[in-house]
This record gives sequence, C-alpha cells and structure tokens, in this order.
Amino acid sequence: MNTLKSILVALVLAITTSFYGQTADEIINNYFENTGGKANWEKLDGVTMKGVMKMQGMEIPFEQVMMKDGRQATTIELQGNKMVWGAFDGETYWSRNQMTMEPEKTDSETTENMKKQVKDWPSPFLNYKEKGYTVELIGKETMDGTETFKVKITKDPLLINGQSQPNISHYYFDTENFVPIIIEETINEGPMKGKTIKLSISDYQEVEGLYFPFSQSSEFQSMNFKEFDLNPELEKTLFAFPEGK
Amino acid sequence: MNKNLLLIFAALLCLQVQAQEIVLKGKELFGTLEARQIGPALMSGRIIDLENHPTNDRIIYAGTAGGGVWKSTSGGASFTSIFDDHAQSIGVVKLDPNDPDNTIWVGTGEIWTRNSVSIGDGLYKSSDGGANWKKVGFENSERISSIVINPKNSKEIYVGVLGALWSDSEERGVYKTIDGGATWEKILYVNQRTGISDILMDPKDPNTLYASMWEFRRTAWGFNSGGPGSALYKSTDAGKTWKKIHNGFPEGDLGRFAIAVAPSNPNILYAVIESKEDKGLYRSEDAGNNWKLLNGDFGLVVRPFYFSRIVVDPKNPDILIKGGLYGSISRDGGKTFKSMGDMHADIHDVVFDINNSDRMYVGTDGGVYRTWDGGSTLDIVDNLPLSQFYHISVDNEEPYNIYGGLQDNGSWWGPSSSTGGIEARDWNRIGYGDGFRVLKHPTKNIIYSEMQGAQNVWRYDVDKNYTKNIQPLSIKGEADLRFNWNAPMAISDHQPDRFYMGSQFLHVSEDMGTNWKKISPDLTTNDPTKQDKESGGISVDKSGAETHTTIFTIAESPIDQKVIWVGTDDGNVQITKDGGQTWTNTIENIKGLPKNTWVYHIEASAHNKGTAYAVFDGHTTGDMNTYVYKTSDFGATWKSLVTDDIIGFARNIQEDYVNEDLLYLGTEFGLFITIDGGKNWSRFTNNMPAAAVHFIDLQKKTNDLVLGTHGRGIIIIDDISPLRQLSQENLAKDVHFFKAEPSIIKEKSGFGGGSTELQFVGDNPSTNTKIAYYLKKRHTFGKMTLSIQDANGKEIIDLTPGKSKGINIITWNHRKKGPKVAAGKTFTYGGFTAPRVAAGTYKAVLSKGKKKFEHTIVVKNDPDSQITKEERVNHAKITQELFDDMEKLAYLVYQINQNVKKAQDVLEKDPSSQKIANAVIKELNTLKETLVVTSGDNYVAEAEPQLREKLSKLYSKVANQFEKPSASTIENKEVLEKRLNDGEILFQKIKDKQVNKFNKYLEKKEIAPAKALSFEDFIKK
Repeated sequence: MNTLKSILVALVLAITTSFYGQTADEIINNYFENTGGKANWEKLDGVTMKGVMKMQGMEIPFEQVMMKDGRQATTIELQGNKMVWGAFDGETYWSRNQMTMEPEKTDSETTENMKKQVKDWPSPFLNYKEKGYTVELIGKETMDGTETFKVKITKDPLLINGQSQPNISHYYFDTENFVPIIIEETINEGPMKGKTIKLSISDYQEVEGLYFPFSQSSEFQSMNFKEFDLNPELEKTLFAFPEGK
Repeated sequence: MNKNLLLIFAALLCLQVQAQEIVLKGKELFGTLEARQIGPALMSGRIIDLENHPTNDRIIYAGTAGGGVWKSTSGGASFTSIFDDHAQSIGVVKLDPNDPDNTIWVGTGEIWTRNSVSIGDGLYKSSDGGANWKKVGFENSERISSIVINPKNSKEIYVGVLGALWSDSEERGVYKTIDGGATWEKILYVNQRTGISDILMDPKDPNTLYASMWEFRRTAWGFNSGGPGSALYKSTDAGKTWKKIHNGFPEGDLGRFAIAVAPSNPNILYAVIESKEDKGLYRSEDAGNNWKLLNGDFGLVVRPFYFSRIVVDPKNPDILIKGGLYGSISRDGGKTFKSMGDMHADIHDVVFDINNSDRMYVGTDGGVYRTWDGGSTLDIVDNLPLSQFYHISVDNEEPYNIYGGLQDNGSWWGPSSSTGGIEARDWNRIGYGDGFRVLKHPTKNIIYSEMQGAQNVWRYDVDKNYTKNIQPLSIKGEADLRFNWNAPMAISDHQPDRFYMGSQFLHVSEDMGTNWKKISPDLTTNDPTKQDKESGGISVDKSGAETHTTIFTIAESPIDQKVIWVGTDDGNVQITKDGGQTWTNTIENIKGLPKNTWVYHIEASAHNKGTAYAVFDGHTTGDMNTYVYKTSDFGATWKSLVTDDIIGFARNIQEDYVNEDLLYLGTEFGLFITIDGGKNWSRFTNNMPAAAVHFIDLQKKTNDLVLGTHGRGIIIIDDISPLRQLSQENLAKDVHFFKAEPSIIKEKSGFGGGSTELQFVGDNPSTNTKIAYYLKKRHTFGKMTLSIQDANGKEIIDLTPGKSKGINIITWNHRKKGPKVAAGKTFTYGGFTAPRVAAGTYKAVLSKGKKKFEHTIVVKNDPDSQITKEERVNHAKITQELFDDMEKLAYLVYQINQNVKKAQDVLEKDPSSQKIANAVIKELNTLKETLVVTSGDNYVAEAEPQLREKLSKLYSKVANQFEKPSASTIENKEVLEKRLNDGEILFQKIKDKQVNKFNKYLEKKEIAPAKALSFEDFIKK
C-alpha cells in the first residue's frame, strides 16, 4: 500500500468509525478487505514462511509450512543441522525429542486437538460460521497504546487431560485499520496453566496482494519472517512421520 | 486529491498538533512499561468465599478480601487470577448451576466487616468461565453477600445486599430478577442500617428461601453488631411474602446470623445466633418452624461479624463446620464440636469436595488450605499472592530490600531480586500479630517494626539477632497514650538514629527508641465521643482496632529537619517549623474537605521545604471521594490535585525525586500517575490489578516504584525514569529514546531456584541493558528493526523491537551473536554461548520504514569487580580466538560434508565410481569422526566427545567467565588447537589425494565437483 493510499484509507476509516458502531462481522469483513480481500484469502492453498526465531538468547532459522488442508511442518536449522523439527500430515502429529533428536508421535489428545485446529488456517475468522465458531465483540480496549476492538472467538472445545475445555481466543483489531495487533490465548497445561499468553503482531507487509504480519512475538519468543512463499509445491514426505527412524 | 493540497492539509494538521497540548492517558502513555508482581505468597491473605463446580472436581473458585477472584482448574493445586481489572474486594462467587462451566456471578465487597475491609462496586457476570466480565449493576451496594440461582431457571436470581458498612444506605436487602439480571426488584428490605448477610434456597424447592438480616455499623472509632433489624426470614412463594422464623430463638435484639440448610435433607437447618442471652448454634428439623439451642461453645459464637458461616456436608446432614478462630467441626448434628486441624487462624469459609467429603478447601486469613482427611491435617495453597500490606518501605542495599506489615500476618522483609526468582524462602519475619510499618535504619543493620496499636514496637538488630521492645509509654501525671491500630513511625533523613512515633503526641527518640521525648501537645481533636472503649455491640469486640483520635502520619522534611508534618485520623494537619516547639494546625486552610476527614498520608517534598502533599480518606464516614492536596507555603494555602481521572478514595502519594510534576497516587482501585503536576492522571494497568494501594515508595538508586497493595502483595514498576522525560517536546516526536544511566555488566552470580512449580516465585528485574523509547504511534505496517551496533556502525546483534504506542522497553544482554558451529549428529550446548561485548559505547539503531533513529548506549564493567583492565583484554582475546576456532572447525566440517555428499551422490548414480568415491567417503568420514560426534544423543547415550564438543566446552567456559583464562585453560586450548590444525592438514592431504583423484574422475565424466562456499560466505550464510 503506498503512503498516500494508506493515509486516505486511515482518514476514511477514522470518519467511519466515529459515526458508526461496529459489529464483530463488520470488523472481520474490514480486516479481510484491508488485507487483500476475502476471496483471495479463500483461494490461498498454503504458505511457506521463512524467518528467524529468537528464544532464550538463541537465534534459530526456520521454515514453517502451513497448508489449507491442515498439513504443517516446521523445519529448523540448529548448529548446521537442518531438520524437520515437527509436522502434521493431517493424521499424525509428531516432533523431535530434544534428547535423541529422533521423531516421536505426540499424544493422542494433542493430535486430536491439532485436527480440530486444521480449519483455523489461514485465519479462524475466515468463514467462521461455517467452521462452527462464534465471535463476539467484547468492546473497545487500549492495547499496545492503541485503541482496538476486542473480539472473542470461540472455537471447538479442546480435550485437555481427559476433560473437554472451552477454546477461546481474543483478537484485538486496531480500530484504525482493522488488522489484529494482539492475540491472547490461555495456556492449558503445565505450571503456567490458566495464564494468558499475549502475542504481539506487526510489520504487516504485502505479498502477492495479501498482507501478512512479518513479526510475531510473545514474552517467550519472537518470530521474524523474511519471506512468505504462497501456494508452495511441496513433497508429501515433508509432513509424514519418518517411519523406521 | 491533489498532492499540494494534501501537503497543505498535512501542514495544517501539524500546526494543530503543535498548538494543542498532548495528553495521553493510560496505556497510550505507558505503552508496554510493565509492573512486576513479587508476592509474597507464603503467608497469602484473607479469603472470603469459596465456590466449587457442581460436577467438575478440578474447578474451584476463591473470592478474596483484597485480591479479586482466583480460579483453580487443578483441584486446588494451583490458582490463577481471573478478575484483575475490577474491584478486588469480593463478597461472594456463585456459579450458575445450569451452566457452571461458563456462567459465573461475582458480588463485590467483603462481607467479613473488620476495620480494614475494602469496598466493592457492584455485581459482575462472566459468560465464558471468567475470560470476560460485565458489570450488572448494584454500583452503590458496597457489599454483596449472597447470590442464589434457581437450579431450574437461570434467569431467576436472588441477590442479597449487605450494603454500606460506614453509613446509612437504602441499597440493601433481597433483590430478585426473573430476566437474568436485566431488571431487579427489591423484595425484602428492613431499614437503612440493616442488610442481608445470607440468602439460602431450599435445594429441592426453589420457591422456598431463607434470608438473614443483620443490623450493623462501623465508625472509625467503634463497631456495632446487632439491633432490632436483625432477624431470620423465610419465604415459600419465591420471595413474594416473607415471615420471621424465630420460634425457639432468644428474645431481644439479635446480631449476625450464620445459617445453612443441609443439602441432603432440606428440613434440617442450622443457625448460629449472636445474642446477649442464649447465643449459639440452633438446629431445626422442620425447615425452620421450630429451633432448638444445641451448643454455645466459644468456637461457634466468637466474633460473629467475622465468622458467620456454617457449611454442611453435602452427603451427611449431621456433619457441619462453623467458621471461627480455628474452625469447628461436628459429626453429631451439632451437639458437640472439635477444632479443625492446624492452619492459619480465622476461618471464613469451607467447601467440601463434590465427590469425597474427606477432602475440603478452607478459606482463612492466611490463604486457602486443603485437607484430604476430613479437616484433620491441612496444607496451604502456595501460589496465592494475596498478601495485604498496610505499609511498605525500602532500603538502599543492592539489591534493595522491601519491608512491610500485613493484616494478621506479621511483618516481613525480602529482596527485590534473588537468584532464581524471589522465592518464599527469601522472606524473613520481623514481627508477629498484625504488622504495619517496618523501617530500616538508614545506616545500621537494624529494623524497626510493630504490631497492632503499638502493643509492641520492635528494634531488631539483624547482625546480633537481638530484639528490643521500644514502644513509647505514658509517664506519670500525663494522659494515657492512644496509638492507632496502624501506629505511625518515621525515621529521619538527617539524623540516622532519630526515630519518631505518634500516639496523640509526637514522640521522638535520638537513640533509636531507647529513650523518648514528647515534642508536641495532643495534636488530635481529643474528642471523647470518638474514644469508644466498649466497641462491638451485642458481642463486645475489644481488639484495639477502633482506637481513634490518634496521629496517623508523620513526615520530617528531607530538606529541613525542623520542619515536621503530622496528620491525624480525626482530620488535623499539623506542622512545626522549629522541631516541635510550636505547632500550627493548617486544616482550616484546606477548602472542599469535609471536617474531620482522616489524614492518611503527608508527603514532605524533596524539592522545596514549604511543599507537601496530603491525602485524606473519608471512607470510614461513608465518604468515598478522593482528596489529594498540595501546599507550597507550609500549609497556608492548599490546592486540590484531584481530577475525574482518579477512581477510588486515596491513601498514599509519592512525589518523584527528580521531576516535581511526576506524582504517584495509590487509591482503593489501583495506581494513578500524573506527569503534569496533577492536571491529568492516568491509571496504570500493565500487569497492575485494580488492587488497593496502601503505600508507595520510590527507590532512589534504581528508580523503582514499589507499591504495597492490600491484597496483591508487593508490586514493582522497575525504573520509572522514562516517565520523568515525558515532556511535551518528547511526546511530539515520532520516536524518542529515553536517556538512561550507563548499563552495568553484572558479574555476580550464584545459585537459586528450588521452589516447586506450585509455589509462587516472584520475577526478578532484568539485569540487561534497557533500551527505552517512546513511539507516537504503534508500528503495525512495514518493517521495523532494532540493531545494536558498535561505535563504527558495525552490527553486533539485532533485537526484536517493541511496537507499542507510548513507552517500549527492550533489553539487550550485552552479548554478540554466537559462533557458527560444526554440524554433528547432536548439538553441543557450549555452541549456544555468545560472547559478551567489552565495556564501551554502542548504538541502538531503530529503523522504521526509511527512517532511522539512533541512541547511544554506554556499557560499563561491574564497579565491584576486582578484574584488571589487562586481564579483561586477555580474556577478550582468548575468547575471540576460541570463537574463531569454533568457526574454523565449522568450516572444516562443512567442507568435509560437501565432499562426502558429492561422493555419495555420484556413487548412487554411477556404480563404476565405487572405488574412487568410497575412498573419499571413507577418508573424510574417518577424519570427521575425530572432529564432531556422529552418533548418540544429547543425554545418557551421548557419544564420546570429539573435538567440537571439547572445543565448545572450553569456548563456552571462557566466554562466560570474566577473569583472565588460567594457565591450564590456555594449555587445554593449545591441545585442541593442535587437533584442529592437524585436522585441517589432514583434510588438505585427503583433498590433494583422494578428493583430487575423485575430481579428475568427475572431470572425465563431465560432472561438476563438490561446491563449497568461501569461509566468509559460509559464516555469513
């Protein structure tokens, strides 16, 4: 988006928002409209995201593939070794054991929860009604110093340690341009259970007509993307559990 | 739009911006500047109401006195706060029995009405298990005691309002909604003095209700429980009509009731009655028609205002527990009781596990306890940081310590930072009973502390582990001393041994409390009508908590020791300018302040000796307004600093030591900050709950703002110095880097940790360099980077920048990028080590679109360090050499791998290459096996370490230390470097022989040889 256009859009939006109260659906529609158009998001089959992950003082180059059918794979480079660290082929979800560096299947509950999240990509809001999700505009809230719309999305419940638990996320859409700048989710397990993790999203840039956030960070790690390849052609083996290894 | 027009338009906008003052509120201003909650949780705090899920035994809620609502999804193993943004004083938590996973109702305002209780501000509802909350009304209720929901109809709800503690109120009684809370009807009301202490619904018949009424009132100097309004009512028509059910109860005025219906048999009811005659536990077996007195034990009748809760086992109508000093349990239907097992005293509520009545959860003045054996042995929940500080102070140690006293939990001190986090064991006790003010001697290792009403004032010599009781006593021919429950003490900035205490007189000691001198007349109103000695009402309650007409705050001017301010709980602001010889009461000079309003705090300015701030609190008369005043002329005139931005009555103010316009105000609902001398205030909410802030201190060395909250422990905002620099000029900039003190590479380190995952551990402050900047607008579109560069502009590392509007704080750990590491089968931990930079001047360069913004960072070595400059130079040199060795090895292994891979690829397609390719593979792999591990794992199946493992271990050891590497380190380095060198030579030999042969073969076959990047390109990759 060139500067002139973005100023105009911002001005128009500022006027619009001051006159009309927003509904959650309007916010979501504006979001898709401002980031490339809903039709284009629907057409997207997958993406490979290349970047660097920073955590605990380490910088780890990675490539993450996310496909419309739910398949995903994360390849990392650690001390000269490039390897698929974990993947999901639609059925089997696996990742490498840190000690042996060998692939291991995740527990069945986690895999089932993963299957439920297949439809979240590229955005849980895209045709959310068809997915059986509900959204609710909670209200306006200042996040990152900026006025936002707080929108709650309730997805399919997750199974955590044998019990079904509600699966709620909060997205904070900047009231000026309708892109999410913060996502909040609750940690379901471990010592941090019940705490909220806040993901800060920024550096939106255009890639073939769609806007992607090139930076996502939380208090634990940050991911900075260098490249988004849309609709990549990939080997099936990338996702599959490496049997016999 | 024409481009020129646009420019004009933009210019106009700029003009307007310049003309207008920039006022940013709340998060717009504070951005991502965050508070740090350090607890402690070891003594926890008062619990008001417990609620468990009717079908899921993992879920339990705790409503607390000053710390909001906490939820456990682990069967009480641990809890998480779910109500941070709202009033933290809770009366009742109730789950909708028809939708217990999602619908939670919270009535705010504590119902165990001790002197120190806070206030609520209405009824709240969550429809998503506590993720979001909406206020549903009852804003002026102050205290909601009960919420009852028809188990067959979620829209039919009864709310019991206990109401205002310190004043008349019509917002009391039983309210009913039949539309889920949209509209409410008051269906039972007695008078302005009498509220609802409990509503019960018959578990089998939602039309049958019981409601207990309680007449009560507190003043600053007394408490009354009981009167003609107190009574027990029953309705059998869903609240349309009510009748008193007192058949068998004592005659005359009654006080507070505790009531319960046995869930397994609704005809059995229990009531504990506060009465002059025949007080005790009554039982009815005919649904309240007739009552019989069973037991008047101390455990049942003690302090009804504090303990009126009975809970009956859900499965057995004869097992019941009464809250009390220790909690009493009966297993014979209330005939006899024994005390519950050992736990913190003052039991307010109990819930039985839904499946196993041997398991219970108990709410006390000191947190939630769990029992697995029917209440015999109890275990505290270790992660509820609900500590209720009355007062805090800090010392000047490094790291500094925090001192403070707590409601019913003594006095404590602990560090602001500790290796592994601030753990329970880092806290030290410094007094018993209720704790209040705790002060550290400015120069000696001596701590002053006290308990309620100055019954004891301790001077503790830390080094000698020796305690002396030093409270001022009344002397012959003079009046008895009146000390406030929370008696004031103060130390002098001018004379380290000077110690002040206030009764109705100001007492001063020049020898740390050994000898005392009175330096004032009675500075209070000495109003005998406010000196009630028989407080309590029907049950006498003489704890000393109601002693009034006392001094409450003392402030010696940090500029002139002769200037001393004194504030009293009955509304006098007294000043002496001659060290106590003459006193002037300036209260008449304060406009707009109701007479006799409690002077909660006076802050003598550090900038000007005539300047002071006074904070008044009228809540004990029912006046919930905020009163903050400033004088610049020794109290001759006072100006109010209150704006509509402030929520809640105030208790404390702290002036900034550097910027006079920067003030920090603690109110009943949180922290408020002004950067313009009180013209505008902003609520600070970043990791700061809406907790009552009772006291604020500002640490002078670190510029940390330390808050003593009454319900959420100690909360710290580390280094508030950016707030001092929020001038109009800086706020107008797109990006402004805040000036900072040089950052120190700390050399001290030790061992900590060891708390279990269920124990609360407070976060430490960051010891890294802080890069703080202000953004006028949040960065959302386009690229933004933050690069750390050396003085010549060479990048050392890039950091992830903060993008928030307002203040952003990024930390840098003084490290460069780590080395490129040789690829092996596993990874080597040492290879993750990045070397530190040397002390010096660096730049942070923030790039936003095409614009760049620079900031200078000065990094210094630890001033406590014994390491010489020469040693540091040597250390840096050896570290760099080892770093280079690591990368050389990485490159060597890379070249080997490239050649091996090529040979393998060729071999796969061309069997005739077998001999010549295998020679390459074999020779190179044999070499590689000596350079890096090629088998095993990262744990106990680890392979024998090879050169990479040994080298990275040595490199990491050297890079992480500060001192010059030892002779043995150097020797070890030489051994490894020789191996590296030998490896390189051998590689060259193989290259010249086997690889060369193989390449010639490839040439013949017209196949390109193995490609390898140059060393420089490989490192950059």
